[in-house]
Amino acid sequence: MRPDELSALQVDALREVGSIGAGHAATALSQLVGKPVDIDVPRIELLPVSDVPHVFGGPERLVGAVHARLLGDIGGSVVFISDREALLGLVDLLRSKEPGSSKALDHDREGLAVHTATILISAYLAAVARMADLNLLPSQPSFAFDMMGAILEVVTAEVGLKVDVALLVLTRFKVEDETTDAALFFLPDPDSLEIILGRLGIV
Amino acid sequence: MIDSANNGMAGFDIVRPGLIMVATGEYAIARHPEVLSTAALGSCVGITIWDPFRHVGGMAHVMMPTPSDTAVKGNVSRFASIAVPEMVERLSTGGARHRLVAKLCGGSAMFKGDSKLASIGERNVEEARHQLALLRVPVVAEDTGGSHARTIELRLDTGIVVVRSYAYGIREI
Repeated sequence: MRPDELSALQVDALREVGSIGAGHAATALSQLVGKPVDIDVPRIELLPVSDVPHVFGGPERLVGAVHARLLGDIGGSVVFISDREALLGLVDLLRSKEPGSSKALDHDREGLAVHTATILISAYLAAVARMADLNLLPSQPSFAFDMMGAILEVVTAEVGLKVDVALLVLTRFKVEDETTDAALFFLPDPDSLEIILGRLGIV
Repeated sequence: MIDSANNGMAGFDIVRPGLIMVATGEYAIARHPEVLSTAALGSCVGITIWDPFRHVGGMAHVMMPTPSDTAVKGNVSRFASIAVPEMVERLSTGGARHRLVAKLCGGSAMFKGDSKLASIGERNVEEARHQLALLRVPVVAEDTGGSHARTIELRLDTGIVVVRSYAYGIREI
Protein backbone atom coordinates (compact mmCIF):
# COMPACT_ATOMS: atom_id res chain seq x y z
CA MET A 1 0.00 0.00 0.00
CA ARG A 2 1.32 3.43 -0.88
CA PRO A 3 1.26 5.70 2.17
CA ASP A 4 -0.26 8.51 0.08
CA GLU A 5 -3.26 6.31 -0.74
CA LEU A 6 -4.41 6.25 2.88
CA SER A 7 -7.89 7.53 3.64
CA ALA A 8 -8.54 10.11 6.36
CA LEU A 9 -9.99 7.38 8.57
CA GLN A 10 -6.87 5.24 8.13
CA VAL A 11 -4.60 8.18 8.98
CA ASP A 12 -6.65 8.77 12.14
CA ALA A 13 -6.30 5.11 13.06
CA LEU A 14 -2.52 5.31 12.68
CA ARG A 15 -2.41 8.49 14.74
CA GLU A 16 -4.34 6.66 17.46
CA VAL A 17 -1.84 3.81 17.33
CA GLY A 18 0.96 6.35 17.70
CA SER A 19 -0.87 8.04 20.52
CA ILE A 20 -1.27 4.86 22.54
CA GLY A 21 2.33 3.87 21.95
CA ALA A 22 3.53 7.32 22.98
CA GLY A 23 1.37 7.27 26.11
CA HIS A 24 3.03 4.08 27.28
CA ALA A 25 6.49 5.37 26.40
CA ALA A 26 5.80 8.57 28.36
CA THR A 27 4.69 6.55 31.38
CA ALA A 28 7.88 4.51 31.20
CA LEU A 29 9.99 7.66 30.96
CA SER A 30 8.13 9.25 33.83
CA GLN A 31 8.81 6.20 36.01
CA LEU A 32 12.50 6.28 35.07
CA VAL A 33 13.06 9.94 35.89
CA GLY A 34 10.47 10.20 38.67
CA LYS A 35 8.89 13.27 37.14
CA PRO A 36 5.81 13.93 35.04
CA VAL A 37 6.32 13.68 31.29
CA ASP A 38 4.19 15.47 28.74
CA ILE A 39 3.60 14.32 25.20
CA ASP A 40 2.19 16.07 22.18
CA VAL A 41 -0.62 14.60 20.12
CA PRO A 42 1.35 12.53 17.61
CA ARG A 43 1.82 14.03 14.19
CA ILE A 44 1.46 11.95 11.09
CA GLU A 45 3.84 13.16 8.43
CA LEU A 46 3.36 11.93 4.93
CA LEU A 47 6.34 13.23 3.04
CA PRO A 48 8.29 12.72 -0.14
CA VAL A 49 11.50 10.98 0.92
CA SER A 50 13.39 14.09 -0.23
CA ASP A 51 11.70 16.14 2.50
CA VAL A 52 12.28 13.70 5.35
CA PRO A 53 15.63 15.23 6.42
CA HIS A 54 13.86 18.54 7.00
CA VAL A 55 11.61 17.44 9.84
CA PHE A 56 12.77 18.04 13.41
CA GLY A 57 14.93 21.09 12.89
CA GLY A 58 16.69 20.73 9.56
CA PRO A 59 19.19 18.34 7.96
CA GLU A 60 22.35 19.54 9.70
CA ARG A 61 21.06 19.69 13.25
CA LEU A 62 23.36 17.72 15.56
CA VAL A 63 21.30 14.99 17.23
CA GLY A 64 21.67 11.71 19.02
CA ALA A 65 19.59 8.86 17.66
CA VAL A 66 18.78 5.34 18.74
CA HIS A 67 17.45 3.15 15.99
CA ALA A 68 15.81 -0.24 16.19
CA ARG A 69 14.38 -2.31 13.40
CA LEU A 70 10.86 -3.72 13.77
CA LEU A 71 10.84 -7.49 14.04
CA GLY A 72 7.87 -9.81 14.01
CA ASP A 73 4.67 -9.37 12.01
CA ILE A 74 5.60 -6.02 10.53
CA GLY A 75 8.75 -4.39 9.19
CA GLY A 76 10.12 -0.88 9.39
CA SER A 77 11.98 1.17 11.94
CA VAL A 78 11.55 3.03 15.15
CA VAL A 79 13.94 5.86 16.00
CA PHE A 80 14.40 7.93 19.13
CA ILE A 81 15.92 11.31 18.30
CA SER A 82 16.98 14.07 20.60
CA ASP A 83 19.33 17.02 20.31
CA ARG A 84 22.58 17.05 22.24
CA GLU A 85 21.43 19.25 25.13
CA ALA A 86 18.21 17.30 25.58
CA LEU A 87 20.12 14.03 25.58
CA LEU A 88 22.48 15.31 28.26
CA GLY A 89 19.50 16.71 30.17
CA LEU A 90 17.86 13.31 30.09
CA VAL A 91 21.03 11.68 31.44
CA ASP A 92 21.12 14.26 34.25
CA LEU A 93 17.50 13.51 35.14
CA LEU A 94 18.23 9.80 35.27
CA ARG A 95 21.15 10.40 37.60
CA SER A 96 19.05 12.78 39.72
CA LYS A 97 21.31 15.68 38.92
CA GLU A 98 20.48 19.24 38.02
CA PRO A 99 19.77 19.37 34.25
CA GLY A 100 22.73 21.03 32.59
CA SER A 101 25.40 19.48 34.81
CA SER A 102 26.55 17.00 32.17
CA LYS A 103 28.72 18.72 29.60
CA ALA A 104 30.00 15.93 27.39
CA LEU A 105 28.48 12.80 25.97
CA ASP A 106 31.00 10.22 27.15
CA HIS A 107 30.73 6.47 26.89
CA ASP A 108 28.79 6.03 30.15
CA ARG A 109 26.30 8.73 29.36
CA GLU A 110 25.86 7.42 25.84
CA GLY A 111 25.12 3.98 27.27
CA LEU A 112 22.57 5.41 29.67
CA ALA A 113 20.88 7.40 26.91
CA VAL A 114 20.71 4.35 24.63
CA HIS A 115 19.34 2.27 27.45
CA THR A 116 16.61 4.78 28.22
CA ALA A 117 15.69 5.15 24.56
CA THR A 118 15.46 1.37 24.32
CA ILE A 119 13.00 1.27 27.20
CA LEU A 120 10.88 3.97 25.56
CA ILE A 121 10.97 2.11 22.25
CA SER A 122 9.98 -1.16 23.92
CA ALA A 123 7.11 0.47 25.81
CA TYR A 124 5.90 2.11 22.62
CA LEU A 125 6.02 -1.10 20.60
CA ALA A 126 4.41 -3.18 23.34
CA ALA A 127 1.41 -0.85 23.32
CA VAL A 128 1.15 -0.90 19.53
CA ALA A 129 1.45 -4.70 19.52
CA ARG A 130 -1.29 -5.10 22.08
CA MET A 131 -3.63 -2.68 20.35
CA ALA A 132 -3.23 -4.13 16.86
CA ASP A 133 -2.76 -7.71 18.05
CA LEU A 134 0.66 -8.00 16.48
CA ASN A 135 3.78 -9.89 17.35
CA LEU A 136 6.21 -6.98 17.48
CA LEU A 137 9.71 -6.63 18.90
CA PRO A 138 12.56 -4.15 18.50
CA SER A 139 15.94 -5.36 17.24
CA GLN A 140 19.18 -4.66 19.08
CA PRO A 141 19.31 -0.84 19.13
CA SER A 142 22.17 1.09 17.59
CA PHE A 143 23.33 4.60 18.34
CA ALA A 144 24.45 7.48 16.14
CA PHE A 145 25.38 11.05 17.00
CA ASP A 146 25.47 13.24 13.92
CA MET A 147 23.42 15.24 11.41
CA MET A 148 19.67 14.75 11.65
CA GLY A 149 19.24 14.45 7.89
CA ALA A 150 21.83 11.74 7.52
CA ILE A 151 20.27 9.67 10.27
CA LEU A 152 16.73 9.79 8.95
CA GLU A 153 18.00 9.24 5.44
CA VAL A 154 19.48 5.88 6.36
CA VAL A 155 16.24 4.81 7.95
CA THR A 156 14.08 5.84 5.00
CA ALA A 157 16.45 4.52 2.33
CA GLU A 158 14.87 1.09 2.41
CA VAL A 159 11.36 2.47 2.18
CA GLY A 160 12.57 4.44 -0.81
CA LEU A 161 13.34 1.26 -2.68
CA LYS A 162 9.66 0.86 -3.46
CA VAL A 163 8.01 4.24 -3.08
CA ASP A 164 9.17 7.84 -2.84
CA VAL A 165 6.92 8.83 0.06
CA ALA A 166 7.48 8.03 3.71
CA LEU A 167 5.03 7.89 6.58
CA LEU A 168 6.31 9.09 9.95
CA VAL A 169 4.40 8.91 13.18
CA LEU A 170 6.14 11.54 15.27
CA THR A 171 5.71 12.15 19.00
CA ARG A 172 7.52 14.79 21.03
CA PHE A 173 8.27 14.41 24.73
CA LYS A 174 8.69 17.05 27.38
CA VAL A 175 9.87 16.42 30.93
CA GLU A 176 8.36 19.02 33.28
CA ASP A 177 9.01 22.43 31.75
CA GLU A 178 12.49 21.58 30.54
CA THR A 179 12.84 22.21 26.88
CA THR A 180 13.75 18.59 26.39
CA ASP A 181 13.21 18.21 22.70
CA ALA A 182 13.06 14.50 22.09
CA ALA A 183 10.99 12.61 19.60
CA LEU A 184 10.07 9.10 18.69
CA PHE A 185 9.59 8.26 15.03
CA PHE A 186 7.61 5.18 14.07
CA LEU A 187 8.16 4.24 10.44
CA PRO A 188 6.30 1.11 9.36
CA ASP A 189 7.25 0.10 5.82
CA PRO A 190 4.53 0.35 3.12
CA ASP A 191 3.60 -3.37 3.23
CA SER A 192 3.21 -3.24 6.99
CA LEU A 193 0.68 -0.42 6.83
CA GLU A 194 -1.80 -2.82 5.32
CA ILE A 195 -1.16 -5.37 8.07
CA ILE A 196 -1.61 -2.85 10.89
CA LEU A 197 -4.80 -1.41 9.39
CA GLY A 198 -6.12 -4.90 8.64
CA ARG A 199 -5.66 -5.96 12.26
CA LEU A 200 -7.43 -2.81 13.38
CA GLY A 201 -10.27 -3.64 11.01
CA ILE A 202 -9.89 -0.45 8.97
CA VAL A 203 -9.18 -1.52 5.41
CA MET B 1 15.32 27.29 -0.97
CA ILE B 2 16.22 25.13 1.97
CA ASP B 3 16.10 26.28 5.53
CA SER B 4 19.28 25.10 7.14
CA ALA B 5 19.05 27.38 10.13
CA ASN B 6 18.91 25.97 13.63
CA ASN B 7 22.18 24.12 13.53
CA GLY B 8 25.42 24.80 15.25
CA MET B 9 27.80 24.71 12.31
CA ALA B 10 29.29 28.06 11.41
CA GLY B 11 28.62 29.29 7.94
CA PHE B 12 25.73 26.97 7.26
CA ASP B 13 22.86 29.18 8.19
CA ILE B 14 23.77 31.88 5.73
CA VAL B 15 21.71 31.75 2.59
CA ARG B 16 24.18 32.56 -0.15
CA PRO B 17 23.17 33.80 -3.56
CA GLY B 18 24.03 31.38 -6.33
CA LEU B 19 24.03 28.42 -3.98
CA ILE B 20 21.93 25.61 -5.38
CA MET B 21 20.83 23.03 -2.82
CA VAL B 22 20.33 19.53 -4.17
CA ALA B 23 17.58 17.68 -2.27
CA THR B 24 17.84 14.08 -1.16
CA GLY B 25 17.15 11.77 -4.08
CA GLU B 26 17.57 14.45 -6.72
CA TYR B 27 20.27 15.94 -8.93
CA ALA B 28 21.04 19.34 -10.41
CA ILE B 29 23.25 20.84 -13.10
CA ALA B 30 24.80 24.30 -12.73
CA ARG B 31 27.40 26.64 -14.19
CA HIS B 32 30.04 28.85 -12.52
CA PRO B 33 29.57 31.21 -10.57
CA GLU B 34 26.79 29.07 -9.14
CA VAL B 35 27.76 26.58 -6.44
CA LEU B 36 26.14 23.19 -5.95
CA SER B 37 25.63 21.83 -2.47
CA THR B 38 23.83 19.02 -0.71
CA ALA B 39 23.33 18.58 3.03
CA ALA B 40 23.61 15.66 5.41
CA LEU B 41 24.87 12.75 3.36
CA GLY B 42 24.68 9.66 5.52
CA SER B 43 24.41 6.36 3.70
CA CYS B 44 23.53 8.40 0.63
CA VAL B 45 26.24 9.26 -1.85
CA GLY B 46 26.94 12.69 -3.27
CA ILE B 47 28.21 12.32 -6.83
CA THR B 48 29.75 15.35 -8.48
CA ILE B 49 30.62 15.47 -12.14
CA TRP B 50 32.58 18.44 -13.47
CA ASP B 51 33.60 19.76 -16.86
CA PRO B 52 36.85 21.72 -16.30
CA PHE B 53 36.66 23.49 -19.66
CA ARG B 54 33.18 24.99 -19.46
CA HIS B 55 33.03 25.20 -15.65
CA VAL B 56 29.76 23.31 -15.70
CA GLY B 57 28.94 20.48 -13.35
CA GLY B 58 26.32 18.33 -11.77
CA MET B 59 25.65 16.95 -8.34
CA ALA B 60 23.42 14.04 -7.34
CA HIS B 61 22.32 12.96 -3.88
CA VAL B 62 21.45 9.29 -4.42
CA MET B 63 19.79 7.16 -1.77
CA MET B 64 20.01 3.68 -3.20
CA PRO B 65 22.05 1.74 -5.75
CA THR B 66 19.44 0.32 -8.15
CA PRO B 67 15.67 -0.11 -8.25
CA SER B 68 14.42 -3.48 -7.00
CA ASP B 69 12.39 -5.78 -9.27
CA THR B 70 9.12 -4.31 -8.13
CA ALA B 71 7.69 -1.45 -10.13
CA VAL B 72 9.38 1.73 -9.07
CA LYS B 73 7.22 4.75 -8.52
CA GLY B 74 7.84 8.46 -8.31
CA ASN B 75 11.08 10.31 -8.72
CA VAL B 76 13.66 7.78 -9.93
CA SER B 77 16.77 9.95 -9.64
CA ARG B 78 17.12 8.63 -6.08
CA PHE B 79 18.86 5.61 -7.61
CA ALA B 80 22.55 5.78 -8.54
CA SER B 81 21.99 3.62 -11.62
CA ILE B 82 19.57 6.21 -13.01
CA ALA B 83 20.93 9.54 -11.77
CA VAL B 84 24.53 8.96 -12.95
CA PRO B 85 23.77 8.17 -16.62
CA GLU B 86 21.24 11.02 -16.78
CA MET B 87 23.69 13.53 -15.37
CA VAL B 88 26.51 12.41 -17.65
CA GLU B 89 24.18 12.61 -20.64
CA ARG B 90 23.15 16.17 -19.78
CA LEU B 91 26.76 17.27 -19.28
CA SER B 92 28.04 15.64 -22.46
CA THR B 93 26.87 18.22 -24.97
CA GLY B 94 29.40 19.24 -27.61
CA GLY B 95 31.79 16.33 -27.06
CA ALA B 96 32.38 17.19 -23.42
CA ARG B 97 32.10 13.56 -22.27
CA HIS B 98 35.86 12.85 -22.37
CA ARG B 99 36.62 15.90 -20.18
CA LEU B 100 34.27 14.98 -17.36
CA VAL B 101 35.71 14.05 -13.97
CA ALA B 102 33.80 12.72 -10.97
CA LYS B 103 34.19 12.83 -7.21
CA LEU B 104 32.33 10.76 -4.64
CA CYS B 105 31.42 11.60 -1.04
CA GLY B 106 29.29 9.95 1.62
CA GLY B 107 28.23 6.33 1.76
CA SER B 108 28.93 5.99 5.45
CA ALA B 109 27.49 3.53 7.94
CA MET B 110 25.61 5.74 10.38
CA PHE B 111 24.41 2.87 12.57
CA LYS B 112 27.18 0.36 12.90
CA GLY B 113 25.18 -2.09 14.98
CA ASP B 114 22.83 -2.99 12.16
CA SER B 115 24.59 -4.81 9.32
CA LYS B 116 21.72 -4.42 6.87
CA LEU B 117 21.63 -0.66 7.34
CA ALA B 118 25.40 -0.41 7.47
CA SER B 119 25.80 -1.95 4.03
CA ILE B 120 23.56 0.53 2.18
CA GLY B 121 26.27 3.17 2.06
CA GLU B 122 28.85 0.75 0.75
CA ARG B 123 26.51 -0.53 -1.94
CA ASN B 124 25.67 3.02 -3.00
CA VAL B 125 29.35 3.84 -3.46
CA GLU B 126 29.95 0.60 -5.39
CA GLU B 127 27.08 1.33 -7.76
CA ALA B 128 28.19 4.93 -8.33
CA ARG B 129 31.74 3.74 -9.21
CA HIS B 130 30.33 1.05 -11.46
CA GLN B 131 28.08 3.45 -13.37
CA LEU B 132 30.86 6.01 -13.81
CA ALA B 133 33.24 3.29 -15.04
CA LEU B 134 30.68 2.15 -17.62
CA LEU B 135 30.47 5.72 -18.92
CA ARG B 136 34.28 6.13 -18.76
CA VAL B 137 34.13 9.07 -16.38
CA PRO B 138 37.17 8.85 -14.07
CA VAL B 139 36.68 9.16 -10.30
CA VAL B 140 39.49 11.56 -9.35
CA ALA B 141 38.79 11.87 -5.62
CA GLU B 142 36.71 10.22 -2.92
CA ASP B 143 35.76 10.85 0.67
CA THR B 144 33.55 7.87 1.37
CA GLY B 145 32.86 5.37 4.13
CA GLY B 146 33.33 5.92 7.84
CA SER B 147 30.41 6.50 10.15
CA HIS B 148 29.86 10.24 9.97
CA ALA B 149 27.55 12.56 8.06
CA ARG B 150 28.85 14.97 5.44
CA THR B 151 27.65 18.15 3.74
CA ILE B 152 29.33 18.85 0.42
CA GLU B 153 29.76 21.75 -1.94
CA LEU B 154 31.08 21.74 -5.53
CA ARG B 155 32.95 24.86 -6.65
CA LEU B 156 32.40 24.97 -10.38
CA ASP B 157 35.42 27.17 -11.24
CA THR B 158 38.03 24.88 -9.66
CA GLY B 159 36.19 21.58 -9.37
CA ILE B 160 37.09 21.46 -5.69
CA VAL B 161 34.61 19.68 -3.45
CA VAL B 162 34.40 21.06 0.08
CA VAL B 163 33.35 18.38 2.57
CA ARG B 164 32.07 19.47 5.98
CA SER B 165 31.36 17.16 8.88
CA TYR B 166 30.99 17.35 12.65
CA ALA B 167 33.61 14.64 12.96
CA TYR B 168 36.41 16.12 10.83
CA GLY B 169 35.53 19.75 10.21
CA ILE B 170 36.23 21.05 6.73
CA ARG B 171 38.14 19.10 4.10
CA GLU B 172 38.73 19.82 0.46
CA ILE B 173 39.06 17.11 -2.14
